[in-house]
Amino acid sequence: MIGNGIFLGDRAGGAEHSGLELLTKRARKRPAFARAGTALNSMGRKTEITNLLANLPRLGAGLAYREPFRAELLQRQPEVDFLEIDGDRYIDAPPARKNELAVLSEHFTLIPHFCRLSLGSAEGVDPVYLEKVARLIKQLSPPWWSEHIGFTRAGGITLAQPAPLPFNREGIDVMKRNIVTARRAIAAPLILENVFAPLVWPGGTMDPAEFIGEVLGHGGCGLLLDLANLSANAPVLGCDPQALLDRLPLERVVQVHFSGCRESKGRLVESRSQPVAESMWELLDAVVTRAPVRCLCLERDDNLPALGHLLQEVERARALGHQHKRWN
Amino acid sequence: MELARQQQLFARLCTDRRFREEFFAAPAQVAAREGLTVAAEGLASLPPEQLRQFARLLRTRRLGEVGLALPLTRRVLGLRFVELFKDHAIQGPPPGERPGEDALAFVEFLHRGAAGTPVEPAWAMSLARYEAAKVQAQWLGRRKLIMRRFPHALRRLVADLAGGAKPEGDYSGWTFAVWCCASSNQEPRHWLW
Repeated sequence: MIGNGIFLGDRAGGAEHSGLELLTKRARKRPAFARAGTALNSMGRKTEITNLLANLPRLGAGLAYREPFRAELLQRQPEVDFLEIDGDRYIDAPPARKNELAVLSEHFTLIPHFCRLSLGSAEGVDPVYLEKVARLIKQLSPPWWSEHIGFTRAGGITLAQPAPLPFNREGIDVMKRNIVTARRAIAAPLILENVFAPLVWPGGTMDPAEFIGEVLGHGGCGLLLDLANLSANAPVLGCDPQALLDRLPLERVVQVHFSGCRESKGRLVESRSQPVAESMWELLDAVVTRAPVRCLCLERDDNLPALGHLLQEVERARALGHQHKRWN
Repeated sequence: MELARQQQLFARLCTDRRFREEFFAAPAQVAAREGLTVAAEGLASLPPEQLRQFARLLRTRRLGEVGLALPLTRRVLGLRFVELFKDHAIQGPPPGERPGEDALAFVEFLHRGAAGTPVEPAWAMSLARYEAAKVQAQWLGRRKLIMRRFPHALRRLVADLAGGAKPEGDYSGWTFAVWCCASSNQEPRHWLW
């Protein structure tokens, strides 16, 4: 304290932290998944990848972590099977955020999700950023980690959202090269998300589903299937979401993102600010019926309701997985 | 590589409205001026409205990040915050790559009056500068000491906002703020007079 000023240094979260420390005593013991990828050099590549995906743990239903829910989530830990965290937010993070991550990792299985590594950048992956991502993943020891089939970096510009790639050989080669670079640095299995693509890049020579299949196949990766992106992209590609789903390599689906969408002119429009619509539940049911999903992740960014409302949706997703025997 | 050049052009088209509109009005001329002829050939066939839609999405994502960095300013300005941010964001991509840098650039944009009309009420500008200094202290690097002076009674204003009260009056007065950090592993300590 200096003079008669008010001291604000311990942040409002200080009281919460003391509560969090108490909670760490009943922290969940997590298995170390991340070493699963270290045996990659000793076996035939395709077999290894198949085994790797087949052996991933069945996590259940969880949600994308949002800071306002921190304290309540810790209280309601049994209702959440895992948390997906925005990995980029914890790179070069201030101490308070690092502490938050440490507490979360003691209580939940965390799945780090990135977009700034930019595996679709033709100029290559930033080695400094990759090193930081690798360090974070090593610290968390997750069952897998995820990025996008798209790019966020080009010519010194960082895009706030991954942009699509051209559906052609050059796009596949770029992804393949960057995935190899990433996998050399990170042992944990990698899964890739289909991005929102309101436009089709000129110069495409293949079907988008075929493109995704080729990228995943060459990279030896699982699919993080974002149903909102799938629904939003389908009309641009001149088909309906179910038809697009039929063409995707569903055997590679490891994780599914589902979120509140609103319906506009008979289409699902991405909106992470609404409850999950019935049409989205139907699409989710179709995926869980057919794909060997390991987890279902609810995303909600804006217009956040009480956590209890979100946990009801998480519970419904969990029940869906039970029903189709995706987990016990 | 051709795709690398196309991605660079695409990123610029998505983040710089003036450049985008110039490009779609006369792609060949703009591409020649920028030395992008081959890369531009493909992207010139993109429907402009699709690109604009993607640009709006990027701006919305940036707005979300900046709103998180400047929560009190966003709260007091409401929709005006969104309008002002749009004026800032259409001018070009976010500077740097760290989350706080876009917020700092936005506050600088407001501070130099680049939005055309001054930010009202006047104390909102002080509040934005205060939150920007906080971002600087938390995120941006190795500075051990940050000191700022504001021409409004920010201590009272922040207390009002924290208590959920609607700010009233002109909050006249002066405020001196200090953030001090002993090491990069510690949360900065903060004093406000």
